Amino acid sequence: MTRKKVNLAYIENESARKSTFKKRKKGIMKKVNELSTLCGVDACAIIFSPYDAEPEVWPSHLGAQRIISRFRRMPELEQSRRMVNQESFTRQRLTKAEEQLRKQHKDNRHKEMTHVMFQCLIGEGLQYLNMADLHDLGVLLNQTMRDVDGRIELLTEAVLPQDMTMVNAMGRGENSFNAQMPSGMAMLTMQNQQPTRSLLRSNVHFNAQMPSGMAMPTMQNQQPTRSLLRSNVRPGLDGNVAYTFPLQWSRG
Amino acid sequence: MARKSKGRQKIEITRMSKESNRLVTFSKRRSGLFKKASELCTLCGAEIAIIVFSPGQKAFSFGHPCVDTIVDRFLSRNPQPNSGSLQLVEAHRNANVRELNLQLTETLDTLEAEKKKGEELNKMRKDSRDKCWWEAPISELGLQQLEQLKVAMEDLKKNVVKQGEKIQMEESNPSRFFAAGSSSMGGHVGGGPHDVKVSGLGLFMTPHGYTLGYGHGFF
Repeated sequence: MTRKKVNLAYIENESARKSTFKKRKKGIMKKVNELSTLCGVDACAIIFSPYDAEPEVWPSHLGAQRIISRFRRMPELEQSRRMVNQESFTRQRLTKAEEQLRKQHKDNRHKEMTHVMFQCLIGEGLQYLNMADLHDLGVLLNQTMRDVDGRIELLTEAVLPQDMTMVNAMGRGENSFNAQMPSGMAMLTMQNQQPTRSLLRSNVHFNAQMPSGMAMPTMQNQQPTRSLLRSNVRPGLDGNVAYTFPLQWSRG
Repeated sequence: MARKSKGRQKIEITRMSKESNRLVTFSKRRSGLFKKASELCTLCGAEIAIIVFSPGQKAFSFGHPCVDTIVDRFLSRNPQPNSGSLQLVEAHRNANVRELNLQLTETLDTLEAEKKKGEELNKMRKDSRDKCWWEAPISELGLQQLEQLKVAMEDLKKNVVKQGEKIQMEESNPSRFFAAGSSSMGGHVGGGPHDVKVSGLGLFMTPHGYTLGYGHGFF
């Protein structure tokens, strides 16, 4: 394998061209052989050089003739369907590359937008975004909110069947449930929710997946969700699990 | 860092045992073979025909200038004289190929750059995920985290809409909204709507609507 990048143009220098031809022709014959052997398929190659009236042939004159016969016995449509020349082949490669580029660009845009969204959620201003950006951000927000809603629904549904028995157990003052609670679970009373409900929810899904350094207080009466958003992050203090999304919008 | 594939491995040249591998290998190597043939034609002025049958018995062929002329030439052993009109067609095709190759190289380079960018973005995301719980995948979040996230996002959405409306208003009423004393346009005050858009709001407008300067402005 060469180290120099070859400019894809006719090699003007005769001796350079001749030696390149020799090497590359040899390489092509090797590759046809490998393809045929590895995949167990019929293949042939015919190469006419500007230096010789006689073509170089793989696997052999006879072998190539056999394969040509097999080829030409096929209906014309089948022959031409996957037939290419330089132009059509290059065009195919170009189309494919353009498609890959489009996809990659879309992918990157999505990743970028996701980053922007998270930045904005923690307080970065929107003033640097143009209409197209804002539009994409809106779309991403909608999509993500749908996913979040879906997940919330899933988690709430999962507990429902047990609801009645647990609620009854709590109502009778049994403490068996408390004994089941993993230590250090954060309890957040949702607005308009019965305490037991949130207990159950937390029990089902809340596990120690939270990154280290986050507060894991025991059950307490919490402020309603909304005000949490305005309080500051105070991990590990009095048990307020408060992660803020300060929504100050700098007026650009 | 987990690699996607093992990279180049030396393999034994014998018929592959797994059919799925055979099919994939055929596809890739056929494409590579045609590419090499095409290069040989361009670099050295060779004329080539290659015929391969796929494991599915389909016939793939590459030919320069064309499969049939080369095959006929081979079978009949008559060197074809190049007539004038043929040469003209040839020259035209070659010019097309040159042009296509230029576009192809450019596209491949851009693709490479975008892939690299994608990997950087991935790394960035991964790094921030470890620090910020709200960036973790939704499936890993607890219920109250989700509720918090949801509220924050609803708020952000409202602001996005507001900001969008603000921009649209300013675009249609430029004279009322330019920032006084803004010097980013060299002391331009007033002027056309275009000036106001840029100087008053600090927006980065590009033909495609993507903010080029955006990435640097935020972090």
